[in-house]
Amino acid sequence: MKLAEHYTRTSVYITLTVLLFGAVIYYFAINYIAQQQLDRGLQQQLTEAEEYARSNDQNPQLYDLDRDHAVFVKTNLQQLQKRFFDTTYFNPKEQRAEAGRAVEDLVKVKSSNYKVVIAISRAGQKYLIEVITIITLTLLAGLLFVLFITNKYLLKGLWKPFQLTLKEIKQFNIADVDQFTGKPSEVDEFTELNEAIREMSLRVTHDYLKLKQFTENASHEMMTPLAVVTTKLDTLIQDETLGANQLAQITDIYSSINKSSRLNQSLLLLAKLENKLITEEEPIELDIILAEKMQQFQELMQSKNLSLQHQLQPKQILASKYLVDILLNNLFSNAIRHNNTGGVVIIQLTTHSLSIKNSGGANPLNTDLIFERFQKGKESQGTGLGLTLVKNICQHYGYTIHYHHETVLHAFVITF
Amino acid sequence: MKILVIEDEQSLRENITSYLNVDGNICESCGGLTAALQKLADYDYDCVLLDIGLPDGQGFDVLEFLRTHHKNEAVLIISARNSLDDKLKGLNLGADDYLTKPFHLAELKARLMAVYRRKALNTNNKLIFNEIAIDIPGRTVEVNDTPIILTRKEHEMLLYFIANKGKVISKNAIAEHLWGDEMDMHDNFDFIYTHIKNLRRKLLDAGGKDYLTSIYGLGYKFISS
Repeated sequence: MKLAEHYTRTSVYITLTVLLFGAVIYYFAINYIAQQQLDRGLQQQLTEAEEYARSNDQNPQLYDLDRDHAVFVKTNLQQLQKRFFDTTYFNPKEQRAEAGRAVEDLVKVKSSNYKVVIAISRAGQKYLIEVITIITLTLLAGLLFVLFITNKYLLKGLWKPFQLTLKEIKQFNIADVDQFTGKPSEVDEFTELNEAIREMSLRVTHDYLKLKQFTENASHEMMTPLAVVTTKLDTLIQDETLGANQLAQITDIYSSINKSSRLNQSLLLLAKLENKLITEEEPIELDIILAEKMQQFQELMQSKNLSLQHQLQPKQILASKYLVDILLNNLFSNAIRHNNTGGVVIIQLTTHSLSIKNSGGANPLNTDLIFERFQKGKESQGTGLGLTLVKNICQHYGYTIHYHHETVLHAFVITF
Repeated sequence: MKILVIEDEQSLRENITSYLNVDGNICESCGGLTAALQKLADYDYDCVLLDIGLPDGQGFDVLEFLRTHHKNEAVLIISARNSLDDKLKGLNLGADDYLTKPFHLAELKARLMAVYRRKALNTNNKLIFNEIAIDIPGRTVEVNDTPIILTRKEHEMLLYFIANKGKVISKNAIAEHLWGDEMDMHDNFDFIYTHIKNLRRKLLDAGGKDYLTSIYGLGYKFISS
């Protein structure tokens, strides 16, 4: 659940609870106030009635009030607690009973006691309370609605900078030249967040660049000693006094140097790809290049007795010839190297994908690891960077590559 | 052929110089840009071997110098940076070829000969070696005036061996020359053997001498006599 939803939910619950409690208390308070007011009116009338009775020395029943019902009843009670109570009031005008409020008290007129009951209608008050209640409820509903809408839409706007920042973080690529900027926001917290992320990304990028620079420099620096060793060996083998034994050793040294230098080349190329340093592009007829590659690798296939099947549809891509070359070389080399003698290589090019399949081991490769650096089969003579390069070149051009295994075929499929 | 090697790494320079100093070639060398420009101002060379990363400047300056002084030495760049930009820049500035470190001396020699041949613009564009005559642009080979049919790879090999005649060449170097270092097939030298066997047989069948000898499984030598 989103933060805004959490917030909306909580705020609505709290508001609702507070308002409901408030409404109940409010209702009772209004009721009480209204009752107090009625009682005060009754008390006034009672006083008037008593005054009248006392001053006129007459039968208080004659006390005549237009609207109110004041009833005097002779009583023998000596004591009566004055009390206010709810009753029904008969409205003579409307000819109907209404809710009413009454007061009863003892009035002494000369020597006799009268119990006086004065009743007035509560209908007006009730109506007022009803109206107030409706207004209050309407306000409450309105308030809730507004609160909900505000949270839903206005807060969404408020969170926009956060969403943008998040999006930028998701898109953040350490190898990208453009850095994290963050959208300026009027909210301090977001500004602070952006600032923190910016600093973090700068630190990370800086470290990354340093590391990469180190890799590049190290690779370059290693090339010269490798070149020295190679040329020394080339000179050494001219010595005719060397025996088969020494020459066999030298052959192994050659192989190792070769591996080192290829490893270096691959690492450098990876660094360049990650830096997006390879920018030149040209239209490439992939079907023609593939045909050339098949020609180029023909002998190697023959040496392993591999049969080649291919279906090539014309397909033009915009890419660096150099990178496409490396990509295909790696895929072809793998398809041949990891093949069984007498196996098969199947190449299919359509307008939207290129698949290179080869027979090989019965078990599928580990899809999580094959594109990782330095993951290679036990018998592999490669650098362990071939498929990493392939993957990075694909990424460089926005292609996807995936591996799957079907019965005995290992397939690499590039989708354009 | 007169060659100038511009390379700051001393041992590399020495090895290159000694490898190239055969067959009446004169090979001079220097280790920096200033010395190189001085030499180029004073003398003419046929070929210049140029390392791009020099301690006292960019090797590209040499190319600029050659261009502004209308000198037409063939230039082969050697660089530790296998960078496409450098390569293109070098070639645009008038270099004839580009070689990445580490390289085999045999490869260097073959490339040097190739750029030299292209640059020299011999009217008679034939490479003659004893009874073997190779027409470079036409890609035809005659042995004792008898045409022989070579595959592209065999043809490349023959040129390569003749450029490096009298030298022992490792299988590694041959593989790299024939398939480029991108082929990544260095764990498999069988096909080299096949090509060499075929080339040798074709030369022998046409009445040529047996020039190719195998050196203890390490490589081959194309006898220069």
